[in-house]
Amino acid sequence: MTGTHTVDVWRAVEQFLFREARLMDANDYKDWLDLWAPECTYWLPCNDDNADPHEKIALIYDNHRQLEDRVWRLSGLHAHAQRPKSRLSRVVSNIEIELDDGTEVMVHSAFVLCEVRKDQTHWWAGRNLHILLRGDDGFSIKLKKVMLANNDTIMPNLTFII
Amino acid sequence: MLQRRGEPLTDVGDWASQFIRGDSVNSEIYTSPAIFEREMQKIFYGTWQYVAHESEIPKAGDFVTRRIGRQPIVVVRGDDGAYRLLMNRCRHRGALICELDHGNQSHFRCFYHGWTFENTGKLVHIPKDDAYPADFDRDAFGLTPVPRVDSYRGFIFASVNPDVASLREHLGLAASKLDYMIDASPTGELILDGGTHKTSFRGNWKFVGMDGYHPPVVHQTAFEIFRRNAALENPEVDAKAAQAPRKTMNDSPLAVSRDLGHGHAMLDVVPHRISEQEHHLEATRYMPGGQEYVAAMFAAYGPQRGAELIAVGGDPHLGLFPNVQMINQHVRIVVPVAADRTDVYLYAARLGGVSDEFNEIRLRKHEEFYGPAGFGQPDDTEIFERNAEGLQAIVNPWIDISRGRNREYVDDDGSIVGKISDEVTQRGQTREWARLMSTP
Repeated sequence: MTGTHTVDVWRAVEQFLFREARLMDANDYKDWLDLWAPECTYWLPCNDDNADPHEKIALIYDNHRQLEDRVWRLSGLHAHAQRPKSRLSRVVSNIEIELDDGTEVMVHSAFVLCEVRKDQTHWWAGRNLHILLRGDDGFSIKLKKVMLANNDTIMPNLTFII
Repeated sequence: MLQRRGEPLTDVGDWASQFIRGDSVNSEIYTSPAIFEREMQKIFYGTWQYVAHESEIPKAGDFVTRRIGRQPIVVVRGDDGAYRLLMNRCRHRGALICELDHGNQSHFRCFYHGWTFENTGKLVHIPKDDAYPADFDRDAFGLTPVPRVDSYRGFIFASVNPDVASLREHLGLAASKLDYMIDASPTGELILDGGTHKTSFRGNWKFVGMDGYHPPVVHQTAFEIFRRNAALENPEVDAKAAQAPRKTMNDSPLAVSRDLGHGHAMLDVVPHRISEQEHHLEATRYMPGGQEYVAAMFAAYGPQRGAELIAVGGDPHLGLFPNVQMINQHVRIVVPVAADRTDVYLYAARLGGVSDEFNEIRLRKHEEFYGPAGFGQPDDTEIFERNAEGLQAIVNPWIDISRGRNREYVDDDGSIVGKISDEVTQRGQTREWARLMSTP
């Protein structure tokens, strides 16, 4: 299906992902949460990009309520792992629309992210799969699956929004 | 219950006595590379280590690679059905014979010169073997077995010290505590195939202790989230609980810290949970697949033991010295890398004889708190790293682990018991650390 969508759709999807990246980089949890559909899944597989979440643990497998919990936790003073907060800068690229049925848009992208916290710099990278819902006010996120390049190796804390 | 007090940390051996004075421990034991090297020899190559669970290698050819201290091993089920622990080192020039984390293979081939071994460890192929005499004894060149291997109900332990005492002796009082985790399954089957959280922190392996004092401080946010969600998930259970407020762990005389000997330590909340078993039963019945689970447990263990096991929830909250913990839904291996670097692997367990939906709830509960992105474990990691930084201040290097020694007592079984937040566990672990470190 790639290539059959219009430039307008492609631009709109790209702008949405860029906006999401900017809000995540700024640790702007509240506005980031507003991007999500009421029924949603925020999923970071563990060990294997294709691990079945019904049979295996994930790094994150949040529904909307858990997303709210995550944002609530990070917004206070006692999420010790984010005090001080990570400073973040990421590039989202390789944006590819796989499917657009008029209601939902399935989008692939890749990212490279630099995290700086205290005296440490960590580089993170991976691929994203978004399923975006079309609404009157633009897109909302129904599914975001983040496939980290390092999801099957030892890793430090991952407590910022990725 | 006997009211005899536990002892202070005296008689800890000649070597250790320079770092331990009564209830004070010199923080150098958490920071010194030289002490870390001694720990490798005296502890990680001296006593038993947990290495794997039999459910990880159910079929012939299944293997996982692990480490004993720094030494790489393969835990493999041979084509003959027996499992073995073999040094992951070619008998020719010593390269790894297995480079994967896990898998299934009939043979292991060293890809340096091609020596090939069966999954029983037997050497079966040497490329260009005309360079060896006709009577070259291939059977003497099989993969080297780990000197001591034994298991307890599927938990495989090993030691590279051929003279180590028996595993039963080593586990002692701790062995039966493992049953709480295993018997959370109505068929007594723990299946460690739920995935692995692989984490790391910049700090000493001994920070991963068994500490009942930190949760209200470190995990304040996680507990608040769980409290709110419990009310949302099953309002009826929550409303009943509100009418008969449950004691917090800190206040309950039935939630204790326990030194089981040999460095094994437990935050023993078993009696506390059993005292509230009606609440736990009702909460369990509200879970997806919960009714079915309760019925299966009652059928398997009878209503009394079944109800107790459900209340305990498969969580012995047990640390076996030096490298493994059984907590909630996972088995945790602590891998010492350097004095200031530790890797921690959390293996999520599923229960045999239980519906998929019930097991899935357990997996979700695990990842909500644990792993690099959970609501709990990252804050532990952060505090361990702050601990490592703080210990660099050595003008006064002594840390205090006296908490609750004035009120601890020796239980009927010989274990030492204090309140849940007391440092009974730290003292027990330190005592075993000192004993092993002082061995000649």
